[in-house]
Amino acid sequence: MFVYVLKRLLFFIPTLLIISVLTFALSKMAPGDPVRLALGNQDQGETNGGSSDKMAGEKAYLDMSEQLGLNLPSFYFQLSNAATPDTLYRFIKKPERDNLERLISMYGNWPQIADYYASIKRTEYAMLDVKQDSTTYTSGKTVKEDCAKLYLDYKDRNISAIIDEMVAASASSPLMSTVHSEAVKMQTAYNAMKSQATPAKNWIPQLKWYGTDNQYHRWLSHFLVLDFGISYIDKRPIWSKISEAMPWTLLLNLISIILSYIIAIPLGIWSARKKGSWADRFVTVILFILYSLPVFWVATLLITFVTTPEYGMDLFPTFGLGEVNDTMGLGEVFAERASHFILPVFCLTYGSLAYLSRQMRGGVLSVLRQDYIRTARAKGLADGKVVWKHAFRNSLIPIITIFASLLPSAISGAFIIEIIFSIPGMGKVAFMSLGARDYPMVFTVMMLSAFLTLVGTLISDILYAVVDPRISFDK
Amino acid sequence: MAKDNNIQGQNDQTLSAIVRRQFNKNRPAVWSLRVLIVIFIIGFTADFVANERPYYAQINGKSYFPLLKGYGVDLGVAQWPSELSNVKWSELNYEKVVWAPVPYSTTTVDLKNNDYASPFGQQNVPSARWKHWLGTDNLGRDVLSGMIHGTTVAMMVGVVSMSVALLLGLFFGALAGYYGDNKMKMTRLTLILNILILPLAFFYAFGVRSYTLTDSLGTSIFAFLGQLLLSLAILSAIIAIPNLLDRFFKKLPYLGAEISVPVDIIISRLIEILESIPSLLLLLSIVAIIDKPSLMIVMVIIGFTRWTGIARYLRGELLKVRSLEYVEAAQALGYPEWRIILRHTLPNALTSVLISVSFGIASAILLESSLSFLGIGVPPEQVTWGSMLSLARGVPQAWWIAIFPGFAIFVTVTIFNLIGDGLTDALDPRLKQ
Repeated sequence: MFVYVLKRLLFFIPTLLIISVLTFALSKMAPGDPVRLALGNQDQGETNGGSSDKMAGEKAYLDMSEQLGLNLPSFYFQLSNAATPDTLYRFIKKPERDNLERLISMYGNWPQIADYYASIKRTEYAMLDVKQDSTTYTSGKTVKEDCAKLYLDYKDRNISAIIDEMVAASASSPLMSTVHSEAVKMQTAYNAMKSQATPAKNWIPQLKWYGTDNQYHRWLSHFLVLDFGISYIDKRPIWSKISEAMPWTLLLNLISIILSYIIAIPLGIWSARKKGSWADRFVTVILFILYSLPVFWVATLLITFVTTPEYGMDLFPTFGLGEVNDTMGLGEVFAERASHFILPVFCLTYGSLAYLSRQMRGGVLSVLRQDYIRTARAKGLADGKVVWKHAFRNSLIPIITIFASLLPSAISGAFIIEIIFSIPGMGKVAFMSLGARDYPMVFTVMMLSAFLTLVGTLISDILYAVVDPRISFDK
Repeated sequence: MAKDNNIQGQNDQTLSAIVRRQFNKNRPAVWSLRVLIVIFIIGFTADFVANERPYYAQINGKSYFPLLKGYGVDLGVAQWPSELSNVKWSELNYEKVVWAPVPYSTTTVDLKNNDYASPFGQQNVPSARWKHWLGTDNLGRDVLSGMIHGTTVAMMVGVVSMSVALLLGLFFGALAGYYGDNKMKMTRLTLILNILILPLAFFYAFGVRSYTLTDSLGTSIFAFLGQLLLSLAILSAIIAIPNLLDRFFKKLPYLGAEISVPVDIIISRLIEILESIPSLLLLLSIVAIIDKPSLMIVMVIIGFTRWTGIARYLRGELLKVRSLEYVEAAQALGYPEWRIILRHTLPNALTSVLISVSFGIASAILLESSLSFLGIGVPPEQVTWGSMLSLARGVPQAWWIAIFPGFAIFVTVTIFNLIGDGLTDALDPRLKQ
């Protein structure tokens, strides 16, 4: 048994590793700029100051990306092509990096592409130092907007037109002579990039090795010592946000799972013993309906009908967990919390309850068909004794295995329930962070839920052996 | 004649005939199947049942067929005549007109009945013909029309996501179940080459072609499918190389030794890993990385998260079937392995896969409605049962929005569950006479 549990625990490691790589890859593919999110979403595109202001802005951006570790390569290695430089990750702004990748796929000559990119930068900075007056206002604005466009465009027709426009616009005022010469240089750089294209380099695969100083490694090694990092949105440690949310989710699930087992087991046995009677058929139909009722519909109906005065049934509070303060006694706190918990727990319970009792009924029925039950009956044992002493333990096996599959669906179910009833649990937190693209948070929730699921599976496997002595994991 | 068929049917002892007979004894399942057919018909004809454009209209002596013409306009092969472009169909002066049974589209905004007109309350409509039988929402959109068009969406979700799940599930399930852990044999060198060439194959099939693929997605779905097929062809061609060379490696000393690949272990572990991630959360985070919400993408992703059940089922069935005599007989006759899988083992295992497809459709519809209930992944203008239901949150007086769309989800899910139950019972060998 011990060896078996150990083996299973060892299997956790690759599973969690794969899940972590999966979530990490998802977060890398997500749109949006985490650095900007962490900087409070201030827009840095439109600075009206000189180049020094712009540089300060860029510096703040770089500092923040360094603080978040986003200036590192993403993973240990990368399979890419010979045209792509292995330092491309240093372009932290994702839209710009994506555009550079696109240019690489079209032209394949990184030195020239880098030249072109640098010339856009130089033109932009030259423009920032131009003195503003009536002659430079319109044309200056055009140049600035065009620079911003060039960072994100790869289509030859657009780029040529934009550059032509810039060259023409910058020629209009003597104050912009530096800009003009930079724009002309940019045109040359762009033409050089086009004429010296080596797109075939894209077809040569190349493995780039980055070593352990990468984003994934850093995140994982912190994760293993339970340092989950900080949330992008409010800069709070994720650990503290999770530790506030986790108890509610666990409590909700615990109450609901215990309740459904407590009700489902006797109900299943009862209806199996009365098999075929009208009571059994009635219960079976009701349970089947409960099982198929979508949880978010039931929750919406409950909120609509029993939490508002609209239909004269304002029985329960609608949202949240209620207000609790220090002056309230234990009983009052309990009553306040309980009144808020009744509906969510009901919503979470009825489905699994229905499923469990159906399985329990089936389990009991199949055990009652066994020969040893007939023998017990033939010996003249009382019906109660046959059921409880001979059939009960064996009929538990199916619903114990279900425990494993119940847990992930309970966690998923709790997510929706928490969102609908506004309970600050893991589901609500994950949902909010997904909306805000706060990926470190999503990450952590995903890993923890996967971990919980794995633990649940393990527990159900162990229970399996406890309930049924015929099952042994030692060989 | 019918009687003859019946007698013949009774004697028919093929598996599918027995299953059909058992299934027909299960009254709820049979009724579900009938209701399902009705739902499918509604889903297919939704445009003709609920539409703001009339079937036939005569204006100033000219005849039009606006409903059919609408398709032509959507496809870009026709154009509205100037007197009909951008009109409010309900307000035109018709000499003759034939309306659809529900004269509202999902997007039709009835300004006279906005802000939640109750089905039982006073409605500002010219006649009962224009009544909103199930009420309206905040903008004045007809709930009944939304319900009807939501049926199409639900059916599409079920069919598309389960097709994706079936493809993946059958592929992996068949691999794991047929080969098991010791039936796929290759030389050491081939195995090593396979492992080395796999990333390379992906590089040439998808890495190099990534922009071609994403750009074709922008043009049309068919262009994308074409490019995708080409990518898959490249992928399989590259992977095939070392396996075709396998026979030549056999003469090599150490590298030529045959070893078996534990296909079953690898795939089972993969399934276990996928199943330990809560599916709703996984789905949410995948959907969150998509820039432009689209129902099609949501359906495909649901399929990608739902295939494990099918694969597991099929694997179990195949492991059972694999050791049966007729498979051994086929092997003894020297049939190639793909033929044994496709012609002999799959058909027998497939009937039971139907069970998991049936339950899978139920859960796919449920998942999609949860997503659109949460307002994620589905474009805001797309009306689905889930998105309609979400409108009811915070508006307690609009009970009709809370009840009807949810009821539709409930009925559809129940039907598929009942059919799944019926199939389970029908396939249970203990019940066979």
